[in-house]
Amino acid sequence: MPGWLFSRLLQAAATLAAAIVVLFFLMRLAPGDPLAQLAGERQMSLQEVEVLRARYGLDQPLTSQFSAFVRGVLRGDLGTSISQRRPVTNILAERLPATLLLGGTVLVLNFTIGIWLGVLQARRKGSRADRWLSTLSLAGYATPSFWLGLILVWLAAVRWHWFPAGGMVDPLRSGESGLSRILDVARHLFLPVLTLSIVSMAVTMRHQRTAMLEVLGADFVRTARAKGLDEGPVIWHHAWRNALFPIITLFGLWLPVLVTGSVFVEGVFAWPGLGSLSQEAISGRDYPLLMGTALLVSLTVVLGNVIADLAYFYLDPRVRR
Amino acid sequence: MRAPLWLVRVGLVGLPSLVPLLTRSPQAQGVPADHGTIVIAVGTLATLPVPTVITGRWNQDVSDLLFLKLARLGPELATGGDKRFIPQLAKSWTRRDSLTLVFDLDPRARWHDGTPVTSRDVVFTFRRTLEPGVDPQRALLLRYLASVTEEGPQRVVFRFSRAYSEQLYDAVYHVQPLPAHLVDSIPYSRFATSSFAQHPIGNGPYRWVALVPGQRLEFTANPDFFLGAPKLDRVVFIEARDPEAQLNLVLSGTADALENVVPVTNIPRVADNPSLRMLQVPSFTVSYLLFNQRSRSDRSVPHPILADSVVRLAIALALDRATLVKNVFGVYGAVPYGPVPILSWIRDPKVNPLAQDTARARALLRSRGWVDANSDGILVRNGVPLSLDLNYPVTSAPRKQMALGIQEQLRQIGVKVELVGMEGAAWNEARNRHDFDIDFSSVGLDPSPAGLIQSWSCEGLSGTNVGGYCDPKVDSLLIQGIFARKDALPTWRRAVQQLEQDVPAVFIYAPIYAFAVHRRYANVNIRPEGWWAALGEWSVTPGQQLERDRTPP
Repeated sequence: MPGWLFSRLLQAAATLAAAIVVLFFLMRLAPGDPLAQLAGERQMSLQEVEVLRARYGLDQPLTSQFSAFVRGVLRGDLGTSISQRRPVTNILAERLPATLLLGGTVLVLNFTIGIWLGVLQARRKGSRADRWLSTLSLAGYATPSFWLGLILVWLAAVRWHWFPAGGMVDPLRSGESGLSRILDVARHLFLPVLTLSIVSMAVTMRHQRTAMLEVLGADFVRTARAKGLDEGPVIWHHAWRNALFPIITLFGLWLPVLVTGSVFVEGVFAWPGLGSLSQEAISGRDYPLLMGTALLVSLTVVLGNVIADLAYFYLDPRVRR
Repeated sequence: MRAPLWLVRVGLVGLPSLVPLLTRSPQAQGVPADHGTIVIAVGTLATLPVPTVITGRWNQDVSDLLFLKLARLGPELATGGDKRFIPQLAKSWTRRDSLTLVFDLDPRARWHDGTPVTSRDVVFTFRRTLEPGVDPQRALLLRYLASVTEEGPQRVVFRFSRAYSEQLYDAVYHVQPLPAHLVDSIPYSRFATSSFAQHPIGNGPYRWVALVPGQRLEFTANPDFFLGAPKLDRVVFIEARDPEAQLNLVLSGTADALENVVPVTNIPRVADNPSLRMLQVPSFTVSYLLFNQRSRSDRSVPHPILADSVVRLAIALALDRATLVKNVFGVYGAVPYGPVPILSWIRDPKVNPLAQDTARARALLRSRGWVDANSDGILVRNGVPLSLDLNYPVTSAPRKQMALGIQEQLRQIGVKVELVGMEGAAWNEARNRHDFDIDFSSVGLDPSPAGLIQSWSCEGLSGTNVGGYCDPKVDSLLIQGIFARKDALPTWRRAVQQLEQDVPAVFIYAPIYAFAVHRRYANVNIRPEGWWAALGEWSVTPGQQLERDRTPP
């Protein structure tokens, strides 16, 4: 295990380093720079733009800019945002909790309820419940999350006033703490979580159902049943464990998507997370902020893969060999 | 699959007890009947509304709540002369000679920490603004300001290097004084990240409470404000970048006001809501088709098509601008005459822009040798087709929508237009690199017409005059307008007229912003030059307070 783990972590570090290099140079190659944007907003002369270019080190050769960035990363300093004029690490730290709360809640719901419903469908294959759940999951799978979000917010917030239309907390109850704060956040979290969960759960359900159906027909499940085991242990201890691999892969893929892929949903619900921040950074070509968010996303992608590999390692004896 | 009994019991007993927490209604605690709270939904939350480090309109608008100017523009928004301004930090001003203005500060003015506002604050802030590298934009605007000095704690003397009619405007409009006693020890390089910038102490009608980036920015009324304590005790800005989300916040009652309802197709949704009213706020923005008069590949060579003013005039005549504006903006837009915003004091309401005349446009092009040689509908001269690229930012819905109409209208006279939609930053870069034939530009101008010199003079060629337009006659009129000490208006109008004749651009639209505001507010005033600057004058109509108005901050 330690050797395998070490080589896997080394591989992850190499992937991350390669991603940083590619991202850094790709961003600089894209048309548009932050000062062109500022010049457009503020009617600056070319000389003034040059002064600002020097201030942010953008007049340096790309290689010098890159080495300065890497030195900063190693020190834990991601630079200063050009548009906000504040340290990027502070900005990311402010936005990360909101994203993790939204993404984490969806992830937990997705991989508990989604798995449970997928297993339920497989157990009752062909039943009315299976047919209904299959139809619903297909509908969820085919529904764009931003559209679903717009419909939900229009119905549940604008028309019926059941839930807030956006934000993470009530702007006028900011000083509260304890249970009332938790409930306030929960009310704001409900619609975005529902939107993202419907779509993501549909995917998990379909994968889990298919995987379980394959396993439920296998000899070892028949043997377990023939031995007289209860249906519960047969399903969860024998079958499900073997039907988990596609879900692990899915988890590895979902982990980064839940940090990055909720840009539209964050927009619809004015959720103050990393998605809207990266959108802001891209449109303003705020290189330090853009690199900070990109670094975070790359880290999550790599982490997702490492977690998936570790899970495979733990669950599948063939990998351990 | 039924829920366990214990869960049902907990739900039946527990949920009702949570209701008060979810819908808590604090009791009124002696809040006057016309006081209240306002929550404003904005696209971008101000993160640094502090003079000398401000970027973007969103920061400037909010800084007006915290920091006063020496004086503000009067209702007619005139920028010339010394009379039509309204005192703020300065109680009064006098003129010693054509180059010297003297301001006496209002002795009642206080910083939010209780310290009096003094001439030292004014002098410090001007000096800092003019330091190299601090704010080149403002330094350029203040280029005729020779010195700012103290004469005692309440008197400031401004000396100018040239005599011109906008001296007072320059002295009061561009700089908001900072508290020198709190900030003079902070080097400019560290100012934006200093604790002062994160928690600014101003002298305006509102005090800073808290900023949660990406979420909300809160202010509370300054009860000791020397020009009268505001009646809106609490002002909260909330951020929603998506226009649809902003609208939902105001329609659902989370927000009480929304700046700039976009797109205009959303306006009926606000108008249908009985608790909201729409307000029209004319802007200082002008959008136009800018012609590149120099070759895209070699700036020393004229543009092969657009260097000819007759071709440019034909293009202007081919466009039915009134219909384009009506189709996209409805009543929330107008066709400007020259690069003059709707609100500018130099605008001549009696002069109309060129009306569409396609017959004349075709005749003009024929007179310059542009003919449809192969009957494909596209004009050609010496084998070169009359084909032009029109760059526009895809992030601007009105420009994107109008570009299609423009393409179709120009096709009618044989001009082929390739639409080049670009992402905002890429479009800006292409514009600054002069890499366009026609650019769909948009610019927010100052109330002063002096800014025209940046984009429409030969002097501006090294800066924002990216179209390469240069007419010494216009330069001369602009300079005369700036330095005229009396009767500058006719000169400015002649300059604009000459610009229209030269057709360096076709001025397409000047937007009128649509604000949604809850009907319970009274004395609602949204100033075009600073949207929220007059918030201190708003109040709540007695008897119409909501629960949030009765909750003390």
